[in-house]
Amino acid sequence: MVEGKKYRQFRVNKHLKRLMAKHYALGRYQRYWGRPLHRKLAWITSGAPVELLRAFKIYSVYPEQYGAICSTAKATEKLCQAAEAAGYSQDLCSYARSHIGSILRPDLAPMQGLPKPDLLVACNNICGTVLKWYEALAHLLKVPLLVLDTPYLPGELTEHAHQYVLEQLQNMVRQLENLTGRKLDMQDLKRQMARSAEMTKFWREIRELAQAHPSPLNGPDLFIQMAPIVAVRGSQEGIDYYRKLKAETEERVRRGEGAILEEKTRLVWDNIAIWPKLFNFTKMFTERGACFVTDTYSGGWAAELASGDPLESLAATYTNIFLNRSPEFRARQMIELVEAYEADGFVMHSNRSCKPYSLVQEVIRRRVMEKTGVPGLMVEADMADPRAYAEESVRTRVEAFLETLQAL
Amino acid sequence: MEDFFVGVDIGSLTAKVVLVDAQGQALAWAVDRSGYSGRDVAQRLTQEILEEKGIKVEQIKVTVATGYGRVTYPAEREVSEITCQAKGIAHFFPGARTVIDIGGQDSKVIKVLPGGKVIDFAMNDKCAAGTGRFLEVMAGALEVSLEEVGALAVKAEEHKAISSFCTVFAESEVISHVSAGALKPDILAGVCDSVAARVSALVERVGLEPDVVFTGGVAKNAGVAKALSEQIGYPLLIPENPQITAALGAALLAWGMG
Repeated sequence: MVEGKKYRQFRVNKHLKRLMAKHYALGRYQRYWGRPLHRKLAWITSGAPVELLRAFKIYSVYPEQYGAICSTAKATEKLCQAAEAAGYSQDLCSYARSHIGSILRPDLAPMQGLPKPDLLVACNNICGTVLKWYEALAHLLKVPLLVLDTPYLPGELTEHAHQYVLEQLQNMVRQLENLTGRKLDMQDLKRQMARSAEMTKFWREIRELAQAHPSPLNGPDLFIQMAPIVAVRGSQEGIDYYRKLKAETEERVRRGEGAILEEKTRLVWDNIAIWPKLFNFTKMFTERGACFVTDTYSGGWAAELASGDPLESLAATYTNIFLNRSPEFRARQMIELVEAYEADGFVMHSNRSCKPYSLVQEVIRRRVMEKTGVPGLMVEADMADPRAYAEESVRTRVEAFLETLQAL
Repeated sequence: MEDFFVGVDIGSLTAKVVLVDAQGQALAWAVDRSGYSGRDVAQRLTQEILEEKGIKVEQIKVTVATGYGRVTYPAEREVSEITCQAKGIAHFFPGARTVIDIGGQDSKVIKVLPGGKVIDFAMNDKCAAGTGRFLEVMAGALEVSLEEVGALAVKAEEHKAISSFCTVFAESEVISHVSAGALKPDILAGVCDSVAARVSALVERVGLEPDVVFTGGVAKNAGVAKALSEQIGYPLLIPENPQITAALGAALLAWGMG
C-alpha cells in the first residue's frame, strides 16, 4: 500500500495490466496473425453474444471499453469535439462521440484508435443508441453490420420474445458462416459458453466477497477489475486471472483488511463509473470512510447464463440483461443489494450519456429509500465527458449526503 | 471571558457571518457581496462584528464554514450548506418539514425531521435556471435592480411566459418581450414563474410535506414567493432575514461543538 493513500492496491493488478495489454496488442496486430489464419476482427457492443463470435474464431474488441480508456487517458474531450465538429450532437452518448472522434482523428486517440474491423455486431439490450452508432460506423468504414434486436422486457421473458431473439441468432449464424467461410461447430460454441459461465461465476463470487465487513473491494476496484469480464469474456486467461483475484480478495477477507483504511459507511453505486474523475470523485468518499461495496454496473456482467441448448441460452441470457428490464426489476435489484451488502445508503450517477440507465433512476431512488429506509443520493455527471462534471456542486451534494449518514 | 461561536456562509453571490453567544443566541450578523474573494469579505465582516460587539478574536471558540467558499476559509469545521440550512431553519421554524432554499447559484429542496436532521434533498443540476443568478441576468436585461424584481412582479396584470430554461436563451426571450412592447412587471412575473417552475420540480422529487419554509436570498423576492406558493399549493413560511439562515445554522453547529 502506498503511504498516504487511503485505499489498498491489489497485488494481482500487474497481471491485470498484462492481460489487458495483451488483449489490445492482439487486436492491434490482428491483421498480421489473423489474416493468415482467416480470422476476422469485430467491433461489438458490450451486451452482444460474444460466445457465438468466438465459436467463429472472430476476435472481438469493445468500443465502449475503449470509450472508458479514452476517458481515463483524458482524450475524450478532444475526440468528442472532433465528432461534434463533424455534426454529431453533444446530446449523444460520449462513448459513441469519442469513438467516432477516434476514427475521424486517430492522431488524438489512445493507441491511434481501435484496429479496423471486418464486421460490426450490435445488440440493443443495453441501449438504443448502439443501433445508430453502429450504423454510422458501418457507413464510415464500409463493413457489414449484424444487429440483434432484444425486445424490452416489461416483466419476465416471454416465450414470444425468446423465440424472436432465437430466430435472429439462427439467422446470425448463417450470416457469420457466409462472412467467415466456417461452419458453426456446436461443440465449440458449448465450450465457449462453458468458459463464459465459469468466468462469470468467478466474477460473481469475487463480488459477493464484498459482503464482508470491512469490504475487500471499493468502487474503483470493481470498475477496474471488471475489464476482463467485459473484454475477454470466455477466455482461459480471463478465468485464470479471476482465480488469482478471488484468492487475493479472500485473503483480504480472512485478514479483515478493507479496501479502504477505515470503513465507516457502506454504499451501493448505481450507473456507469465517472471515468474522467474516477479517483478524484471516489476520494471524497474514502476520505470520510465511505466505501462502495457493490454496484449495479459491474454486476451486469455477473448474471448466470440461462439454461437450454446453446442458442436458446444465448437468446435468454442476452435478453435478460438488467438494462433491458423494467424499473420494478431494477428497484428490486437495488433493494436486494442494499440488504445483502448491509449498505447504509446508495449513490446514483445520473449519467448524461446513458439515457436508459439514468431516466428511471428517480423512480427507483424513491422506491429503494421507501423499502430499505436508507438514503439515496443523486449526482449529475457523465461517464466519459469531463465537460459535464461540476466539481463544486458534486462536492456539496456528497458532503451533505455523508453528513446525513455520519454524525457531525 | 465568555465564549462565542461563528458561522460563516460564503455563497456564490454573497458572504454571510453570524455570531452566537454561549447560550446559543444570535447576537449579530452581516452580509456583503462575495466579490473576488469571499474568504476576505467574510473575514472582514467577522472583524467588523467583533469590533462592534467589543469581542476579542480569542473569544471565538469554534467557527463553522459553509457555502461554496467553505473550503478556503480557516474554520474548525466545514459543513455543507444543506446541513447548515436545515439546522438554521429548525431554529426559527421547529415545524418545518420541507425547506426550499434558492441562492445565487443553487436551488435546493431539503426534507427535514424535527430538530433539523436532513433526510433527503434535491438540488438544481449544472444550470443557472431556478437560481438567483438567473433572476439577476433577467433583471439586468430589464434595467431593474435585483431588489425591485419582486415588488414589480407582483403588480403584473398579465404574465409573459418565459419558456427557456437556458439563461442565455431566456434573456433573449425577455428582450423579445421588451421589443414587442410588454410591460416590465408582466415580463418579470414570467421570469419569477420560470424560477418557481424549476424549483417546484425539485420539490416533487423529494415529496412535499408541510410546513414549507422558503429561504435563501431569493426568498426576499415576493414575485418568486407568490409564484412558488401557487405552484406547490401551500403557503410558504419566510424567515425575517432569509439570507442568513444557513450562516446561523453553521453558528449553531459551532455552538453545539463547543
